[in-house]
Amino acid sequence: MQLTSEYLERAIEQLSKLPGTGRKSAQRIAIHLLKQNDEYALKLANAIIDLKQKVIRCSTCGNVSDADPCNICDNSKRENGQICVVEEFNDVYIIEKTNEFRGRYHVLGGVISPMDNVGPDQLKIQDLLKRVGGNEHIKEVILALNPDAEGEATSYYINKLLTPYEVKVTRIAYGIPMGTELEFIDEATLSRAFTSRSAF
Amino acid sequence: MQIKALKLQNFRNHESTLVDWLPHLNVITGPNGAGKTSLIDAIHYLCMSRSFVSNSDQYVILQGESYFMLKGDFSGTVRSEFEVACSYSRGDGKKIFVNDGPLDRLSDLIGMVPVVVLSPDDKRLTREGPIERRSFLDSFISQISNQYLRDLLDYRRIRRQRNSLLQQYANAPHMLEMYLEPWNKQLVDAGASIVDARHKVLEKFKAYLAQDYAMISGMNLTTDLEYKTFCDASVGIEDIKKQYYDKLAESQEKEIEREQTLVGPHRDEIVFYLGDRELRQYGSQGQHRLFALSLKLAQLHYYSDELDDLPIFMLDDVFGDLDPQKTQILLEALKNHPGQIFITSANPVPFEDVIEFDGERNQLIRIEQAEIVGKE
Ligand SMILES: [Zn+2]
Repeated sequence: MQLTSEYLERAIEQLSKLPGTGRKSAQRIAIHLLKQNDEYALKLANAIIDLKQKVIRCSTCGNVSDADPCNICDNSKRENGQICVVEEFNDVYIIEKTNEFRGRYHVLGGVISPMDNVGPDQLKIQDLLKRVGGNEHIKEVILALNPDAEGEATSYYINKLLTPYEVKVTRIAYGIPMGTELEFIDEATLSRAFTSRSAF
Repeated sequence: MQIKALKLQNFRNHESTLVDWLPHLNVITGPNGAGKTSLIDAIHYLCMSRSFVSNSDQYVILQGESYFMLKGDFSGTVRSEFEVACSYSRGDGKKIFVNDGPLDRLSDLIGMVPVVVLSPDDKRLTREGPIERRSFLDSFISQISNQYLRDLLDYRRIRRQRNSLLQQYANAPHMLEMYLEPWNKQLVDAGASIVDARHKVLEKFKAYLAQDYAMISGMNLTTDLEYKTFCDASVGIEDIKKQYYDKLAESQEKEIEREQTLVGPHRDEIVFYLGDRELRQYGSQGQHRLFALSLKLAQLHYYSDELDDLPIFMLDDVFGDLDPQKTQILLEALKNHPGQIFITSANPVPFEDVIEFDGERNQLIRIEQAEIVGKE
């Protein structure tokens, strides 16, 4: 095969690194892009650059944001004494869509998994303790981690660390099918899971 | 439960084969290497998401091709009509579809179409190490209990996590204890459920095994089995958990020394007895063979009583090893079993004497070089 465009080849190579995108789909996308006008290509390129350069992590909760603190931490209406602990920032997005929770979040950045060399020190667990012991007047910590082995272990560990604090620890539990990842749950189920959360 | 039609593409030596199956006995004959076993292994894929012959999916692909694809039309009493498809390619891996909807996890398939397989490989069951018997038991219970399969997968994962901790913190026992605690609770929860389920199933299974061994051997040697685990498994799940915690505490030092989990159902053993002698040590070749056959017949009969739908039963190349008398007994037993049965055989077995191939309930398929060359 003789390459007629090194640039096209380069684009395909980069696109095929996207999750769920094989070489064939990458070719299709590249050819599609080639057919679009310049303005679209520029917008797409800038969106990608902004995504990398302008999105930051909130220093309070660990959520992705354009500003620090993020607009959830900055919103005084959400000062209701509740913190919802989640694994990753996309979980915040999913829970926000339910409109069920009006408190603030804490993004751990993962779960405990010794075989992947992730222990408590690699997660934002100490930051959570600081928030609970600080001046946010936290009354309840809601654990909303995936109900798999790692999520359970992490919940158990955090609950244990929180025992000396005067704070209620609850977890979302009912309504979530065993072994299901949060992102695969429909909103109705998740919303029900929130209303029926139980004491740890 | 029965499979009505099967389509194979690039599966072993089948480039493209379509077979209609009948509701009772389906006998497949043909020379060695004709692709008889492949036909029933394909059905096995659609029941268990894997081969019963090969350990690796990629060796199952027809040489020179990049994927295989299987489709089966099933019908049962609980779930009337449904299609299961399985595709595998080196790039995309294995995928299972039920009525065109992809399954999130391959394990979701297990139990949808219960299956019992008797194959020449079964001689390992009673002769070799405990891992053979554990995997027999795991496949046995997983097909009748989703909870068991979930506990098993959880347990495996928790044990790996725990082993990693034991390796990483072997030199810091104080830290280790704190980090182990969340995993210990889960290990005990999943492990105790597994032990409890194994105990209960095996207690019931004993009678089936005894009955089928007596039937097939025509002898009055009694069979028995003993479930060996780390605790008294007969006391119910809560008591098993208590014993489990105690044993874990007892063996903590040893676990740290060996850097692995030493207490749990992953070390279980089932001991089989014939008369009052341990089969594995004292059994003759013939006794081992009959015992393995009885285990599978007992599994079939256990499922038939426990489940709403009859399982599919497959016998791969087992008649060659049986004497004429046992062959007759087995054929009679199969004839009287109401469920769907698949038999492969290279040797001329006197099927016609016992079974009437009427083309409605029973059929004999002849196959050569992955082509169906005759049907009766
Ligand atoms: Zn924030």
